[in-house]
Amino acid sequence: MRRCINRILLAMALLLYFPMQAAAGTITGVVKVNGLRSPADILVFLTHAPAPVLDLPRAHFVMDQRNLTFLPHILPIPVGATVDFPNHDQVAHNVFSLSRTKKFNLGSYKPGMSKSVRFDKPGIVELRCDVHAEMRAYILVMKNPYFAVTDARGRFEIPDPALFQKLGLTKGLAAGKYAVKTWHEKLKSKKQVVTVPAQGALSVQLAVKRGRPGVLYK
Amino acid sequence: MSGPDETVTREKGAKRDRLAVLVALLCAAIFGGVYFWSVAGNAQTGSVHDTPRRIRGRVVSRYGPVANARVRIAGDEKYALTDRQGRYELATAHLPAQSLKVTAGKDGWFNNGHLAYPVGRAGDIVLNALPYHDDPAYRFISPVTCARCHNKLAQYWNRSKMAHTTSNPKVLSMYYGTDATGRRGIGPGYRRDNPNDGGNCIVCHAPSVAVSNWPQADLKAALWSPRTEWDGISCDYCHKVRKVIEKRDRPSHMAAVFKRQAAARGNSILVFGPYDDVVNAPMAASYSPVFDQARFCATCHNHFRKLPAGTRWDHRKVYTDAEWKGFGLQAGDTLPVQSTYQEWKLWQSSLPAGDANRGKKCQDCHMSWRKEMLPYDHFVVDGMARNMWGTRRSPRNIRPHHFDGGTATQLKTALSLEIEGQVLGKKLIVKAFVTNTNGGHWVPTGETLRSILLVVKATDSKGRALKMIAGPRLPAWAGRGDPAAGNYAGLPGALFARVLKDRNGNLNVPFWKATAIAFDSRIRPKKTVTREFEFALKNPDDEPTAEARLIYRPAPRPLVRLKNWKAEDILITSNIW
Repeated sequence: MRRCINRILLAMALLLYFPMQAAAGTITGVVKVNGLRSPADILVFLTHAPAPVLDLPRAHFVMDQRNLTFLPHILPIPVGATVDFPNHDQVAHNVFSLSRTKKFNLGSYKPGMSKSVRFDKPGIVELRCDVHAEMRAYILVMKNPYFAVTDARGRFEIPDPALFQKLGLTKGLAAGKYAVKTWHEKLKSKKQVVTVPAQGALSVQLAVKRGRPGVLYK
Repeated sequence: MSGPDETVTREKGAKRDRLAVLVALLCAAIFGGVYFWSVAGNAQTGSVHDTPRRIRGRVVSRYGPVANARVRIAGDEKYALTDRQGRYELATAHLPAQSLKVTAGKDGWFNNGHLAYPVGRAGDIVLNALPYHDDPAYRFISPVTCARCHNKLAQYWNRSKMAHTTSNPKVLSMYYGTDATGRRGIGPGYRRDNPNDGGNCIVCHAPSVAVSNWPQADLKAALWSPRTEWDGISCDYCHKVRKVIEKRDRPSHMAAVFKRQAAARGNSILVFGPYDDVVNAPMAASYSPVFDQARFCATCHNHFRKLPAGTRWDHRKVYTDAEWKGFGLQAGDTLPVQSTYQEWKLWQSSLPAGDANRGKKCQDCHMSWRKEMLPYDHFVVDGMARNMWGTRRSPRNIRPHHFDGGTATQLKTALSLEIEGQVLGKKLIVKAFVTNTNGGHWVPTGETLRSILLVVKATDSKGRALKMIAGPRLPAWAGRGDPAAGNYAGLPGALFARVLKDRNGNLNVPFWKATAIAFDSRIRPKKTVTREFEFALKNPDDEPTAEARLIYRPAPRPLVRLKNWKAEDILITSNIW
């Protein structure tokens, strides 16, 4: 009897879930890169989009430190989110930023320790280590959760399912016109206007060249 | 033939033997079992690891107990200090079966050590005092010798600027007044302007020669010598420094005090270093705290020029009172030609208590790990020496000797640039923010020929350059000619440098001709400098773009051309709005 009730509940949940998914629009695509070895780690985002209420305490963003490297190299987060900075290296690190978006200095801390910072203003935050000059990474504080980072083959999907799950969001992107923009420290930013349908996925191909990126939001 | 009695006796004897063997085997099995059970049991429960083992002992000398000696298990990061009776107690998680070397070191004494006994005591560690006299006749050993054991450290050093400070073509051409190819009589040259004076360049550019009772101060002494230890700042030179003291008559206002051991005292090489646990036979090592202090670098990374009698300059036009005081200068009869150490000191003294940057020193950035050096070394010696005497250390406790500075890697992380634009009617306002992100001193520092250029460009949506109507422009010595070839004179931008001038008002003169500092716009540690530019916009509805570049220039363009130097600009960063 209980098994039967469970099955019915599961079926109901699936019925509720799939129409919701189908109603939500998504942007999928590929970024083609000229002048860089790999199309990975490129931020693709919507410059203007409705910003839903986010369950930020639930989200857990991590900028790790291993072998004199920040991991990941770019970490986009929604505005208001907190990032943990664990030190999993064999030497002490001193994470800091003097970017105008967020200035902070975590001081020198030993392997095994972790510190956190909340980012409350959209923009680019350049991370540095005071001890190891070549360590550098970027935290990109976004106005809305409609962003994704390309994989090793340059593919992306907006909304990013993993991010939406992390933020407790279920609703996708509403139909309408949006500007899709890219950001990578060594690539010229590319902006393209797209129209997202009410249902299904819109496929986009973005070609970017080597150069300097612009600001996230002009 | 043997009788039945004899046979029975033999059988009985054989039975006894077998029984004895069985009993022996059983005993061995029981003892072995008990032993392995105890070891395994202990290892599993972790009782040995978790309970710190205490090692007690004394540090003594021929004069009695040695107080305040640093005692540790060789390679450990934690250490204990001895009390007035020379006693110490160390807590360690090492296993009792491990052979532990307890070492002791103190400033002014040779390091020494002793094996710890399993009972938790170590024999008295006897420290010997350093010889009272320095032996100026000592002949520095070649870096090649050091490289036999310290292979990796020597490799890092050999690729650094420290290794070839004498044979550096720019140094030589500025010293002799030649160009890069050696043609005489080209551009400024110390010996060209002062034919009868060798100068004091040798003190920092060939220091081993300078302290070796060599009668000449000319750099040729080092250049023409087959003695490899004479070119550059060699291993043995630095590791013979006993301490660094203030000495106002020196160009840097600091001087190194040496302690060199006479050959008659034995084959061991007296070396100073930051380790108090190096007690290996081939080296007579002595702990010296100065190796972990910024003042160690001050002997060369400061340069003050006393002006000729009667010449003074008004420092208040360039520096605040606090900055001038921070340079350690009082009167206007001295020019701070280079003041890297004082800049660092100024910055450190301005930090509030508890600031994360308090205590950060030269060694932390210029002798830190680089990605290309990974995986981390756990030893400062390599090869056979490691097997014989190597002490395993944490990478935190090892300083790679690459002395990175003024390189693309270092510059790209020292400075950062942000740009912001705003359209106001028919004007585009561009603000560039240049931040000294990682430099513990002003940037650029050191040699006054160095500069940082900020070059700003604004274009309309069709890519046409916009005309600047207000804002700073780059000076003539940023290079006249094609901007694509690195000539930026007259372009919107700013220049950050310490610029020397002579009594005729000529800028960018060499230090021996300088009588004043024209300006010092270098960027202070962790500070942001803002420069604002205003461009005319034909169409207020247009979407203009602004781009800013930050470029490091090792020497002014006219001097580079004159001297035929290979001195390429380094693009530090650029940003687009």
